Amino acid sequence: MELFSTQFPANDFAVIGLVLALPLIGAFVNGVFGRRLGNDGVRTMALSACGGSFLLSLFCFLAVAFYPQQDGEHVRLVWKAWEWFSVDGQLRQAIPIEVAFSVDALSGTMMLVVTGVGFLIHLYSTGYMAKDPGFYRFFAYLNLFIFSMLVLILGDNLAVLFVGWEGVGLCSYLLIGFWYDDEKKAAAGKKAFITNRIGDLGLLIAMAMLIYYVGTLDWKGLESGSAALMTSRTVWPLGNLSSTALPQFLAEWLTPESPIRIQAATLVGMALFVGCVGKSAQIPLYVWLPDAMAGPTPVSALIHAATMVTAGVYLVARCSFIFVLSPATMALVAGTGAFTALLAATIAFTQNDLKKVLAYSTVSQLGFMFIGVGVGAFAAGFFHVITHAFFKGCLFLCAGSVIHAMHARIHDDDASQDMRNMGGLRKYMPTTHWTFLVSCLAIAGAPLLSGFWSKDELLFKAFKNQITTTNSSLWVPPEWFGQAIYAVGVIAALGTAFYMFRAYFMTFHGDFRGWKIIKRWKASAHEHHHEEHHEEHDEEHDAPREGPVPHESPRSMTIPLMVLATLAIFAGFLYAEPLHIAPLEHFWKPVFARADALVVAREGAHAMMWPLLGVGVAIFAAGAGAAYWVYVLQGGEPAKRFVTSFPRLHALIYDKWRIDELYELTVIGLIDAMGETAAQFDRWVVDGIIAKLTAIVVTIGGTILRALHTGRVQVYAASMVLGTAAIGWFVLSPHAEVDIDTSSLRVSGNATFTAAPGHGYKYRWYDEGTDPPETFTTEASYTTQIRGCETKRVHLEVQNALGTTTRESFDQCREIVPNCCKEVGEEPPKLPTGLPGATPALPKLPEIPNMPKPGRYDAGVLQQILPGNRPAPKRDRPKAPAKPRVPNKGDVR
Amino acid sequence: MTIPLNYFLILAAALFATGAVGFLLRRNLLVLLMSIELMLNAVNLTLVTFNRMHGADHNGQILAFFIIAIAAAEAAVGLAIVLAFFRLRNSVRSDEANTLKN
Repeated sequence: MELFSTQFPANDFAVIGLVLALPLIGAFVNGVFGRRLGNDGVRTMALSACGGSFLLSLFCFLAVAFYPQQDGEHVRLVWKAWEWFSVDGQLRQAIPIEVAFSVDALSGTMMLVVTGVGFLIHLYSTGYMAKDPGFYRFFAYLNLFIFSMLVLILGDNLAVLFVGWEGVGLCSYLLIGFWYDDEKKAAAGKKAFITNRIGDLGLLIAMAMLIYYVGTLDWKGLESGSAALMTSRTVWPLGNLSSTALPQFLAEWLTPESPIRIQAATLVGMALFVGCVGKSAQIPLYVWLPDAMAGPTPVSALIHAATMVTAGVYLVARCSFIFVLSPATMALVAGTGAFTALLAATIAFTQNDLKKVLAYSTVSQLGFMFIGVGVGAFAAGFFHVITHAFFKGCLFLCAGSVIHAMHARIHDDDASQDMRNMGGLRKYMPTTHWTFLVSCLAIAGAPLLSGFWSKDELLFKAFKNQITTTNSSLWVPPEWFGQAIYAVGVIAALGTAFYMFRAYFMTFHGDFRGWKIIKRWKASAHEHHHEEHHEEHDEEHDAPREGPVPHESPRSMTIPLMVLATLAIFAGFLYAEPLHIAPLEHFWKPVFARADALVVAREGAHAMMWPLLGVGVAIFAAGAGAAYWVYVLQGGEPAKRFVTSFPRLHALIYDKWRIDELYELTVIGLIDAMGETAAQFDRWVVDGIIAKLTAIVVTIGGTILRALHTGRVQVYAASMVLGTAAIGWFVLSPHAEVDIDTSSLRVSGNATFTAAPGHGYKYRWYDEGTDPPETFTTEASYTTQIRGCETKRVHLEVQNALGTTTRESFDQCREIVPNCCKEVGEEPPKLPTGLPGATPALPKLPEIPNMPKPGRYDAGVLQQILPGNRPAPKRDRPKAPAKPRVPNKGDVR
Repeated sequence: MTIPLNYFLILAAALFATGAVGFLLRRNLLVLLMSIELMLNAVNLTLVTFNRMHGADHNGQILAFFIIAIAAAEAAVGLAIVLAFFRLRNSVRSDEANTLKN
């Protein structure tokens, strides 16, 4: 072990670089040379890149697990690639942002899941996509996705995580719109991308706040510095917005009596959670995920079920020490999760598209994960990520296998995914059937399977846990909040069992309905634009159609199914707390140690563990049994009766509660309106006025210049001669330009004139009314004295080296009171009496004996008459409203 | 007997003016080229004259040599253009060089 830790030091664990490099190389080779490599080459490259990455991840995982360490210390193996940039902190300190990666218990497990499940799905895709012309492109994207996801997981700071976060978003976009010539699929890609951007904004804001409050972005620094987030910050009124700067009615409305203050941890946590909501498809940003099913099915399995969408849960678990600081944020996370779990489950009841059912199921399960991390059960919530990756990955791959078989018969993307065309497939596809059943049992929570352990664990924790806080002024959710979350979770879990078995029975039991496509099956799917197209083929659709019998998928597709199904069965024993077999919990303990310290169990809740486990078993039995009764025993009759008796409710749920339409009307409508306004402005103002005006000016100018442009070389030469002559004349003639310095003019009356310099210049200055000096001197500046309100004219004559002289005169006034300037030559008023323009309202001063009269005085006379220097009069001085004025020039005001 | 330097300058100015006026007024390309040569030589004469005034260095003379070299190059290029133009339009009148016009 000693040797190991010297070979692979914890602060320079370069194996991480290799883990990251392999998929990147795979993406590069497949993307650039894929077309020439051919399908076999692409397959080898992609599989070896992902498989090699998996083996190295295994190495990293084991290294973390067995790294020699002090007791209970948090093992973190760091590899710093390079310095990226640095930003200024709150105290103007430089905060370095490094491209650094680290692996610890949490990221080690996650990377194993990503590369492991990723490898299985790569393998599966080699079969699924075998006949696609974009084979190499698909694997380039897929490898790029693995790389981005690993960057997201392994990033040692939030900035690197964000790079991965954006990277997986990009790959998601590329892969959803993989068949980009279908406009609907391309639109689904765009929807996913744009919806994710909204969330990413939250993550960016969170990063900025963390830089400001904590002064670092790397996990270690954030963990040790998270106490800085306990301070509360004024969020309203914003910045320096004060009541004085605003009109009265706005000020009353915008500035409350006491400013609104929110704890920094709440702000950061909520902003982080906005990012998670976008990426992990929670209310209100979940709408992109069901549409994302437009991508190839392996993509749905890998990105939109197993890995990328769980990035939000990963981020909450990673930043658990920030989230627990604020009970309000935790309650928001748990509440959003619970509500999403329930809403998505209800939608899944009515969907007929197999992949749509699974998509809503994924949204619902992500809700469960957020319940887990939101109630402080970080380990349990994150464990659900892992088990979900197994069983939901398996379910999606099974769906892909089914679609593969159906598509071979129907050759229609939508019809081959519609469960109403399936049924009885267990006879034709035994492996797919068994693996689907196992995963279905796991997700529904059948005892001893993986979903049972993870889901019931986190629901139990929701019932049990409470978040404590050291700051008593913080809002804490009420006592019943945990039970409410638990109750909603149980209902959602009941729904899960029902809709999953509904999908299972509709797909694999009964008779195969695909022999004859349901007449006008699309008409009810609210896609009216397809209707006309299908009416032409109605007769064809009515008759049973010849075609290949559904067949089991090739070996490359069934092997991943079997591996994932096996994991879905047994993975639960990695964290079966009721049985006290929980190796993963011990493994993760150091990661969540700081967060767990603030999570306490409610009194007496622990005794409820086994009863609640019983509830879990009961809801599984109830949900699955109900589905069996409705769809097998009754052949779907109760469901049809429900549709006929509540047609409007069914239509509402079938249309996904019309959330998309709501967004269309509100948010998207608003943006469209803004865009339309801008377009009108562009059309009428920019194009109509500005562009036309410019064109007119250019046309006129062009017409004039065209007349000069004769094409005769002599004309050009003549204009050159004229130009040269003009410049020569300008250079050779003297210029009298003056800069007047008036800085001391008001006080002392001195104005300094400085003439611009020139070669061989000589100057002659004189005031108006005086004779010019005899000779020119090189003196460039001239100072003259100006009396108050007088305008003085100064003449300057400049002579250059050739003896040419020019003369210029400059007027300057000393404006001691506004608008008192006299004309040149006019006698200025005597001060201080009778100031023109001075305020006539000035109260007349009472006569003061010996008041000095205006005029010039000798110093000796001043000594006698100034107030301080003569004996005070015997009688009281009248109270003067203003200071008695001393006729000091220039100091009137 | 020495000739005053002013005389050289006046001669140079006269030469330059002749060249400039010739360039502006004549239409024959060959005459234009000769006018240019006249102007260049007027400048050369000025330079040499000023060099004579400041006898310590020889910058003016050196510059004059450069101008002679450039004038030779210019004449070569100019004559080539005139030749090409003559082949094209069968004329050496500058006002017939109007292919680009309109």
